[in-house]
Amino acid sequence: VTIHLSIVLFLPLATGLSGALMPRGTGRWAVLAGSLAVLAYVLVMLIDFEPGGGLQYVTDDGWISELGIRYSLGVDGLNLFMVTLTAIAWAACTFVAAFTEHDRPRLFFFNLALAETAVLGAFMAQDLALFIVFFDLMLVPFYFLIGGWGTGDRVRATTKFVIYTLSGSLLMMAAAIALGVLATPDGGNISFALADLRERSVPLGSQEWIVLLFALAFFVKAPLFPLHGWVPDTYRATSIPVLALLSGVLSKVGVYAFLRIVLPIMPDGAQHWQELFIILAVFSILYGSILAFSQDNIRLVLAYSSIAQLGFIVLGIFALEEKGAQGALFQMLNHGLVTVVLFLIVGVIALRASGSESLAELGGMAFRAPVLAGIFLVTALATLAMPGSGNFVGEILILFGTFENKLVYGLVASAGVVLAAVYMIRLYQGTMHGRAGPGVESREIDPVNLAAVAPLVAIVVALGLYPNFVVHRTERDTTQAIAEARQAGGAQEVSAIR
Amino acid sequence: LSATGYGWLVLAFPLAGMLVTSFGWRVLPGRMPGWIATSAIFLAFLSSIGALVDLQDHAEDDRQLVDSAWTYAATADFHIDMAILVDPLSVFMCLVVSGVSFLIHLYSVAYMESDGGYARYFAYLNYFVFSMLLLVLAANFVILIIGWAFVGAASYLLISFWYRRATAVHAGIKAFVINVIGDIALVVAAFLILDHVGSLDFLPVFEQAGDAFSTNDGTLVAACLLILVGAFAKSAQLPLHTWLPDAMEGPTPVSALIHAATMVTAGVYLIARTHPLFELAPTAADIGAAIGCATLLFAGTVALAVTDLKRVIAYSTISQIGYMVMGVSIAAYGAGLFHLMTHAFFKALLLMGAGSVIGAMAGIQDMDRMGGFRRAMPFTFVTFTVGALALAGFPLMSGFFSKDEIIAFELNRGGFYAVLGVLGYVGAFLTAFYSFRMVFRVFYGDPVPEAAELEGGHIAHGEPLNPMTGEPEDTDVGFPGPEHHIAERERPMKGAMGTLAVLAIVGGYIAIPGVDNVLEKFLEPTFADSRFADTHPSTGAEWIGLVVGGVISIVGIGLAWWVYIREPGTAMRLRERFPRVHTFLVNKWYFDELYDALFVRPAATAGAFSRRVIETDFVQGTIVGGATGIVRVGTSFARAIQTGYLRAYALLLLLGVAGMTLYFLLNSS
Repeated sequence: VTIHLSIVLFLPLATGLSGALMPRGTGRWAVLAGSLAVLAYVLVMLIDFEPGGGLQYVTDDGWISELGIRYSLGVDGLNLFMVTLTAIAWAACTFVAAFTEHDRPRLFFFNLALAETAVLGAFMAQDLALFIVFFDLMLVPFYFLIGGWGTGDRVRATTKFVIYTLSGSLLMMAAAIALGVLATPDGGNISFALADLRERSVPLGSQEWIVLLFALAFFVKAPLFPLHGWVPDTYRATSIPVLALLSGVLSKVGVYAFLRIVLPIMPDGAQHWQELFIILAVFSILYGSILAFSQDNIRLVLAYSSIAQLGFIVLGIFALEEKGAQGALFQMLNHGLVTVVLFLIVGVIALRASGSESLAELGGMAFRAPVLAGIFLVTALATLAMPGSGNFVGEILILFGTFENKLVYGLVASAGVVLAAVYMIRLYQGTMHGRAGPGVESREIDPVNLAAVAPLVAIVVALGLYPNFVVHRTERDTTQAIAEARQAGGAQEVSAIR
Repeated sequence: LSATGYGWLVLAFPLAGMLVTSFGWRVLPGRMPGWIATSAIFLAFLSSIGALVDLQDHAEDDRQLVDSAWTYAATADFHIDMAILVDPLSVFMCLVVSGVSFLIHLYSVAYMESDGGYARYFAYLNYFVFSMLLLVLAANFVILIIGWAFVGAASYLLISFWYRRATAVHAGIKAFVINVIGDIALVVAAFLILDHVGSLDFLPVFEQAGDAFSTNDGTLVAACLLILVGAFAKSAQLPLHTWLPDAMEGPTPVSALIHAATMVTAGVYLIARTHPLFELAPTAADIGAAIGCATLLFAGTVALAVTDLKRVIAYSTISQIGYMVMGVSIAAYGAGLFHLMTHAFFKALLLMGAGSVIGAMAGIQDMDRMGGFRRAMPFTFVTFTVGALALAGFPLMSGFFSKDEIIAFELNRGGFYAVLGVLGYVGAFLTAFYSFRMVFRVFYGDPVPEAAELEGGHIAHGEPLNPMTGEPEDTDVGFPGPEHHIAERERPMKGAMGTLAVLAIVGGYIAIPGVDNVLEKFLEPTFADSRFADTHPSTGAEWIGLVVGGVISIVGIGLAWWVYIREPGTAMRLRERFPRVHTFLVNKWYFDELYDALFVRPAATAGAFSRRVIETDFVQGTIVGGATGIVRVGTSFARAIQTGYLRAYALLLLLGVAGMTLYFLLNSS
């Protein structure tokens, strides 16, 4: 038992609180220092992490013993890189935000810090109830960040965002309680610890609806078609650094929880819905891609491209095959990194186009901004999963896993790869190439954004060169996470043959 | 240094050149980026020679060397190393690629001088060559696919290099997307192979393919057809050829690079590399040969009609690649690769000559506007004609030996293949005709004003116009540059073209039937496992073929002479007599229009439909609350939230969490 993860978890909140008490101009630096300290801590952990060594840096204490809820944190291959992604993304976005002027800056940075704690908690929780606490806690700072510092029709945007995610959360909470209760053996004590829940069993009939409720919450968060109704308004209204985090990191919490919670604890239920979820995933890939290349607003191009990319990740998970799950997990990291970069670049572009984010008005920006264009190009190519990028390794593993069990769906999903090339190149050309629009100024990326974005791009390139750094560290736990659901599938197939 | 050590160096130099030119663009003065990039490729060429020398020291059955640098990705049965395979085939490709690319770099040093994106150009060019070398050196399917996609990305960057041109931007995305289609096909093929053979490394796959698959096994045929889709996307074969003519939007040396040494030959290389699979799936191989043949005829007819000088050469490339695809598909590997090499020489030369002429025309590419450059540009004229003779298969030129080698193999195998061979001769006739259509229309006849101006010692300058649309170019950005460079005045251009002209003449002498067969002997270790290794046409048959080919070539050239020099109005009369044929050919058989109707417009319609109907009515309407009742419930709920419930909830949640945290902290201590 160590205290490391508790430090990582509460450091942002602590700096956020102290920043809120500091004078107006200095609070932001406290929060920035906090996010950088978390990043440093996490990087040390990344080096120290023992690949294949199971759950590490475990903290496990009783919390509410009457309800069987424990304060239990741990890092293994499943969440190591999710925690890393969170730390990197928050450091980069807090850095950019710290150099931007905000109304009520102390409150803004407090919310930003609180959000980091919530996300880290959701990723590190090893207790279902604790996970739900943090999962719902994420909503609070983002509600304020979108509603308080957004632009345009932010009331409408926050309303939709909250209705959607809150209904998902409530359903999930009900499902989680039911799971804990139903899993309790006769005469046993109720427990929400994931390790206990994995040992216990829930009847297939209950598993089915519990998985469905979890999936609803996670698909809303992801988002997947047709639960993405909140996306367009929210993406339009949210300010850039917050949106980068929302799209890059928050979208991963739900899909991550499939691997952490749903598949190991309710393998039969997961297996039951496999076909439906794969169809939803494939549909999201195609639908998201088609919409991505018919949008004019560059944020919405990225919004719908996220729907398509999350479709790939869900597809990989529900292929219920080792390579697919491994690819999905890797893709969560890759997609998170490129999305953060892309949204920060959107902010940079809008500054050079009199605030416009419309492809019809943009163009020709590359001329006096070769560094901006180069960074955008590398990130765009990675986003469309060009071979040689980490995203490609993620995607090829997802596709291979899907081909293995569901060849036809895999082939349909492959069309999404071609469509991704269309919308990403269209986005790149529409902003950087062609003739310059009237309100467009070709100016190089500013040092602040460059300093935030360059390390991320370097990581994206490095992951393309040596993806095995991630794959090696995540392999064992991913394989274990899907092992039972996979066997459930195998058993069903065998009985069908008989 | 071992052969594989040299192999890594072959990759390292262009990569280093790319990094230096792309990061040093601000500090490198004048022609410096060009010279750095050129030397990088020259060093890669020298390293290829090093690999060749070392490889020849190995015993003949020990000339397939694999070296792995690090584990790229490994999980479950998917195990990929960052590894290269150095064998005669990859070394041969490295030599051709780096050698010809070096000359194209050299040419570009001068040709691109006044372009505003000089350093960027050479960074892309180095990246392009690096990608191609990675492709040919890859030791497994995944690294091959990486090189494959890098080539596609590099070609995209270079095609839309003049990115303020709408046509260049459009051509770029077209090339990129068609290439991605090919990439995906390769990914699926790789899966089928991994699934059945259990490996993605070339040598084990080829060794075990015979055990894993029976001849013409359905899965293997599917995998091979997918490999063909990949190969055809890159090599611009039917029906995935439409990007290549548009790729002429890039600067002319780029066209030379794409068309001659790199990129389009990748498909031919891929078929040759995976030949053990194709020999187990003869159905797929036959389909490949048939499509190669169809492509060579189709592209030959289009080259008769289009008037854009660079596009004539583009269709000529498509057609010539058809020969190579036919060759490697019918197991005439040596012959196919021989033609790949000679074609690299004379096609690079022709495009460089075209670039020189376009320079003299101040950017105009239309042959209708050209004429009479013979006296104004003697060096370009002579070298271009040498290239055209080699392309036309004129006796004793390089194309003469290599093209007929492929046809001889086909006739030798008989049946279906003999039909392909005969059609190959038809294609040869078209080739000879359109090659000299270019020569006669550009260099003969009365000098056009630009040629006359050049004879007076001055290069023409016109207002820079987009050659495709006639729109004025956006010149404030500095590219394409204000100056025009022609071979007659630039030593680097002269040096590159002169070298290629010599190679276009003598390149064929490494494989004269009955005299020597250097190339096939060298490649033997790679193709030793071929079941057709011993089926070789007799020397006598080959010489008969050569004579027939020579006669066809001379007749074709003669006919072109008759049509364009002797009776200059003939072409016009034919056009008026058969207007429909002409329209059909000038519109390139309407492939672009077909794809537009089949794919582009339906996709755009689906997008608009989804955006307007599904998103607004279904997702926003039905799901947020479509029917009026639900809307009312929804809005009252929303109002309730706005009036404070939500904030109360959020606050409650926050307080709850804070309270619980406190409780826990107190409890645990």
